Amino acid sequence: MDGSFQKNGLEALVDDRVDEGVFRVDRSVYTDQEIFEAEIERIFEKGWVYLCHESQVPEANCYFATDIGRHPVVVVRQKDDSLSGFINVCSHRGALLTPKKQGKAATLTCRFHGWSYSCDGRCVRIKNEKEGFGEDGFDRSQYDLNPIAKLANYRGFVFGCLVDDVEPIEEYLGAAATWIDLMVEQSPEGLEIVPGSSTYVIRGNWKMQLENSVDGYHVSTVHRVFASTVRNREERESLKGLKQTEGGRLVGIVPSGAYDLGNGHMSIWAQHTTPERRPIFKKKEWLEANLPEAHVEWILEKGRNLALFPNVMLMDNPSTQIRYVKPISADRAEVTVYCIAPVGEDAEARAARLRKFEDFYLTAGMATSDDMAALEDTMAGSFASQAQWSDFNRGIQTMTHGADEGAKAVGFDPVSSSESWENETLFFGFYRRWRDMMLDQD
Amino acid sequence: MDIDTDLKRDVAELINWETTLLDRREWDDWIDLFAEDAVYWVPSWADEERTVSDPETQLNLMYFRNRGGIEDRVFRIESRDSYASLPLDRTVHIVSNILVAGVADDEISATANCLVHSFGKHGGQTRASLYDFKFRKTEAGLKIVLKKITLIDDKLEGPVDIYHL
Repeated sequence: MDGSFQKNGLEALVDDRVDEGVFRVDRSVYTDQEIFEAEIERIFEKGWVYLCHESQVPEANCYFATDIGRHPVVVVRQKDDSLSGFINVCSHRGALLTPKKQGKAATLTCRFHGWSYSCDGRCVRIKNEKEGFGEDGFDRSQYDLNPIAKLANYRGFVFGCLVDDVEPIEEYLGAAATWIDLMVEQSPEGLEIVPGSSTYVIRGNWKMQLENSVDGYHVSTVHRVFASTVRNREERESLKGLKQTEGGRLVGIVPSGAYDLGNGHMSIWAQHTTPERRPIFKKKEWLEANLPEAHVEWILEKGRNLALFPNVMLMDNPSTQIRYVKPISADRAEVTVYCIAPVGEDAEARAARLRKFEDFYLTAGMATSDDMAALEDTMAGSFASQAQWSDFNRGIQTMTHGADEGAKAVGFDPVSSSESWENETLFFGFYRRWRDMMLDQD
Repeated sequence: MDIDTDLKRDVAELINWETTLLDRREWDDWIDLFAEDAVYWVPSWADEERTVSDPETQLNLMYFRNRGGIEDRVFRIESRDSYASLPLDRTVHIVSNILVAGVADDEISATANCLVHSFGKHGGQTRASLYDFKFRKTEAGLKIVLKKITLIDDKLEGPVDIYHL
């Protein structure tokens, strides 16, 4: 860009003329490093972002290190069980405080000059303080850690924000909250991250990762080979029950849908023709006894992918996943995937959930690897400025403004509903939120 | 413990042969080196210093309870329908430090180190692994009953499949 992108330039990048049947995005949103820097400032450092799941900080003094934009951040469990978030940086010279990504420590001690902080952020020890700062009247509290402006825990999913001037978490999540509820209410004992994770670098823009996670249109092409591979396995080994894979959605023959949930959040679902192959099916009776019928139907029979603006995706399909994306540069992002599962799940269901995860969701798996390859080709193609527009028009004529019957049944209120997960109308909300945050420079 | 030099030679030969078949894309011969009940395991990292330890209850990068898992991978590669596997990355495995760790009844355990250089669309890269093998003596010679690959690289660029490991 030539620097003129500040206002008019930015607005022109999202060609939002839905009344005329057009919604398209200039591909420089993926490739331009100046735009990327602005995204970090105006989106990641000005609004809510996902930080972690509460099970990653299970007890007092447990910490989890992550980032908000360019700010290293640490989430710490307090003695009263509440959660706090701090800039994860020593007040003295700026070294990172946590030795590991995740751990437990009564105090966080900087390993450079030995300054220590209690888990509530107070600076409690400065090495050789008297010799350096004198005996009397020295106020150590000026070196307390910087708390992050906002921290919120929505049913176990922890979000943070670096500025005070932001909507309450419930308002930010809006219709997407119901999609989180559908995951959480499956387990009265809560959800937990299963030990182990995988981090991979995508040679593509962070927004492409969010798009991919709720793009139902690619499934029957990119994942056709996954479907044929597991079908071949099931025939070869005569597999039954939980060891089989739900295949209907992969070949595009089942009912499905897509929602623009507002505030940039998006979701898709597809009907499971064989819900008995899902690990959660073992809890059918409990679900039916404890939850409204419509919720049980959504939980058992609809595979769901949710993308929360701007940095996390929650998948509840044959397996269940948290996928966190960290933007690195315009053409690079780091993705970490975790398996999230009901606490106290029985061994057979847990093993099935993990094996399905490993089959599909990893860069060493048989589907996410193909997604990555497609994404990276899309990135390579996006540098062609003479072919500048990415089209999101599919389904623009048939979309429903507001809620369809499925949404009404469980009580969430999307901006728009679409009767097929192959439709792209859900991306309107994503790019409108993106545009609005990029234009709001205050 | 004294381990007979013939056995040491056979183990080294088999490990070298196994990775050679991968690099040469002799998939069917490669699969034949594994017993039908062979476990193929690539643990994920539980934290910076430890991998997961129980493949059944924890998340792995790959965990196949029998040889069918690698047969699936070969099926997918050969279908030419996998986006990530067309074109196929080129690979060269360099195996060293082969040690026979123990012999018990018909089962032999061994360790080795492996560097894999691969080249694909995005250029070249090298990854390193620790190998833990178990072999079974059969009438048809030694068969692999466990291949555990501890991939020390923990921030993966690009897809990782059986031939990268």
